[in-house]
Amino acid sequence: MASDVNTTPLHVLFSLLVLQFATGFIFDGDKYKRQVSFELNPGLNASSPLPPGVGLLHVRALGASDTLHFLLSSLGAPALMLVHTNSSSSSVKVDWRRFLSGNTSGSLQVVPESSVQYSSALVFTRVWEYEDSNDTADPQRLCGGDGGPSFANGSFCLQISAFGSGGRDPVWPGLLHSANSSQLRVWLDGVTPRSNFSRFFLELQTVGRSELQSRVDIVRSIDDEYTPSIFQVSQWVSSPPNVTSPVLGYTQWKPVAYRNATPSLELAAPCRHTGPLPLPRLPPSGLVGAYFGDGYQASGLNVTFGIAGDPLYNATKYLSWTVLVGVGSPPVDSFSPVVMVIMAVGLGTPMLLILLGGVYICVRKKRAEPLAYEPIN
Amino acid sequence: MAETEDRENLLGEYEPLHPRADGGAPKPMSAICDPSKLAHRVLVLVFMCFLGFGSYFCYDNPAALQIQVQQDMNLNTSKFMLLYAWYSWPNVILCFLGGFLLDRVFGIRLGTVIFSLFVCAGQVIFAAGALFNAFWLMEAGRFVFGIGGESLAVAQNTYAVSWFKGKELNLVFGLQLSMARLGSTVNMNIMGWVYGRVQSTLGSAGHTTLGATLMIAAVTCLFSLVCALILGFLDKRAEKILNKEQGKTGEVIKLSDVKEFSLSLWLIFIICVAYYAAIFPFIGLGQVFFIEKFNFSPAEARAVNSIVYIISAPASPILGFLVDRTGKNVVWVMCAVFATLAAHMMLAFTFWNPWIAMCLLGVSYSLLACALWPMVAFLVPEHQLGTAYGFMQSIQNLGLALIAMAAGAILDHRGYLFLEVFFCACICMALIAVVLLYLVDFLRGGDLNLSASARARLRGSSTSDSE
Repeated sequence: MASDVNTTPLHVLFSLLVLQFATGFIFDGDKYKRQVSFELNPGLNASSPLPPGVGLLHVRALGASDTLHFLLSSLGAPALMLVHTNSSSSSVKVDWRRFLSGNTSGSLQVVPESSVQYSSALVFTRVWEYEDSNDTADPQRLCGGDGGPSFANGSFCLQISAFGSGGRDPVWPGLLHSANSSQLRVWLDGVTPRSNFSRFFLELQTVGRSELQSRVDIVRSIDDEYTPSIFQVSQWVSSPPNVTSPVLGYTQWKPVAYRNATPSLELAAPCRHTGPLPLPRLPPSGLVGAYFGDGYQASGLNVTFGIAGDPLYNATKYLSWTVLVGVGSPPVDSFSPVVMVIMAVGLGTPMLLILLGGVYICVRKKRAEPLAYEPIN
Repeated sequence: MAETEDRENLLGEYEPLHPRADGGAPKPMSAICDPSKLAHRVLVLVFMCFLGFGSYFCYDNPAALQIQVQQDMNLNTSKFMLLYAWYSWPNVILCFLGGFLLDRVFGIRLGTVIFSLFVCAGQVIFAAGALFNAFWLMEAGRFVFGIGGESLAVAQNTYAVSWFKGKELNLVFGLQLSMARLGSTVNMNIMGWVYGRVQSTLGSAGHTTLGATLMIAAVTCLFSLVCALILGFLDKRAEKILNKEQGKTGEVIKLSDVKEFSLSLWLIFIICVAYYAAIFPFIGLGQVFFIEKFNFSPAEARAVNSIVYIISAPASPILGFLVDRTGKNVVWVMCAVFATLAAHMMLAFTFWNPWIAMCLLGVSYSLLACALWPMVAFLVPEHQLGTAYGFMQSIQNLGLALIAMAAGAILDHRGYLFLEVFFCACICMALIAVVLLYLVDFLRGGDLNLSASARARLRGSSTSDSE
């Protein structure tokens, strides 16, 4: 059965990365910069104590004339909310008493409300464990259930990184990010599996305006320099139904999880996902309940870790997976300068040699020709 | 030889008496038993071909079982590629020594048996390493296997010369090469299946399954050892009957000759190292590449990975004939290098069906082998040929060992695109060397790039000069 994430011992690690590059590198497409600041539990006064394990992180990414608000909360199912406003002075207001009581729409606001351009949320609704005794990596028999041992021990952690400018995460899967995105790394560490053949998968939901379309695009890429052996990137985008209109927001990931805290090629577990399905109800997350109301819809999908033949969770008792959440179009990878230089030099040198050699030989032959007709004596 | 006796009776073939050179008591012999007859030579050829089968079959065992080896032994790619590097290391030195050992120390018959024993022992140690889950033992096994492998190929050629010189020698060389490629191909396509069967018998995957699978592969080496023993026996028998001498490689290695090597020869060495470095390590890593980049099934990935060998089997004699008839070796080498570069770039920068690139790679690989190796003979006087070829193979092995290690590390840290770019860079290096070779040869008025007819004319005039 499922383990609702909020019932598991949950550690939401708030870690903030503000990456500033002195000079934008030639190949980093997105040069837009933001000032990133963060605040834990904004507006909370000492009179209303937080329940244990609950927190709200507000990341404010201030651009020239707009602001991105990222909100990460572990009240209910952990969720990352993203609000894009066209004002540089918009702010987040939380009515903490109502927020903590739950199920109260409007207890969290981004003001002025008229400045809000786009808002969405990514919710980690469930971690599923299933018994894969036939090694198919296809969830058939879910673990636990009524009366069974519950999901205990271990931790499910979330790490958020927000960015002041474009760049790339130095740790695999090395997703390319821009100032319009933030990155979430989730990991499942030291969980005692409930069967000898346990594998895990994650249930994810996004919340967005109901008129927007939600779909997952799989983009193939020949470039696996930053994530060795992975030639795909999956993008869960929301866009207006009109096909030609641009994407408004995205959740992007590479279909790979790592079975160790220090990722390496042999510890990579390929991921697969199901198609997104529209859901009748909004997910049970405090953040979603507090901000989103009518006119919003959720859609969900499952991401499974590992394919048939891969080692089970037991082998390392660790799984980490990374997603990028942002507004606008997802970043597109390009070749690294090293690759371009190697190919340019590698192809250029012989071509130059052939050209110079060809000219030289022609000259020699031209000069040699009249000699051939001269008398020997 | 009961089997041949039966066949003889069935076919009712009785050969007339043969006058014997040593004047011993003449005895009626059927064609198949008479060393001076074609039928007997064909029988010998069969054993000769299977002599190398085991070593070629087992050489690419790691490539055929890459996923299983890495998973069962818990290896990263760098460590996996060490299995190939360890095969090459002993041959950096043995390429010089192989001929010497065969001629002066063991003799062809004993030498062949000894090298076959090394191949056998190496494969058994390799398999034992997997059984005991000891990777160092597997590496040691590959080292021992390497000691036998390349030298066994030299012995095989020597046998071929000794039995077929002045007769069907080129055809025999071609057949032996085809047999070698057949061994590699069968290995690539069958080992995954064997592993699957062993796994279902033992009930689970793991290092024991891998060890058992590799032990089964060792049977081919045992089979080759039996061929070596039979060949030794037949050769000894032929020596008695025909008063024929034991075959010699005739190789004389004088390391001091190295300083007399011309610039053109060094360029050929560079081509050899840079080119083969982009072929063999690539095939070693190919299977998983096709699975991960092109979403091939393991069986299809193994098939496309072995297509280079499959093509090479029939293409080598055909292309060899073509190059022999046209001459212009440098141009052919240049074409081969260009085609290989195109193939690698297709694999690196496109999602085109890899069958196209791999077929191109197979043809160009065969073409290069046909055009490059004979060029050495045009550049070096005959008494230095042994040294030149020994040196060429030696640095080829050195290059393969180093590049195999580098390729594993690059894949582990930078992925397949970078690895392919690295291979492209190697091919570009070979391309630079070919262009320089063409220019140097042109400026010095060398005869590397002459057409076959011009070469024949030159040979004619030089013999008339010397007369």
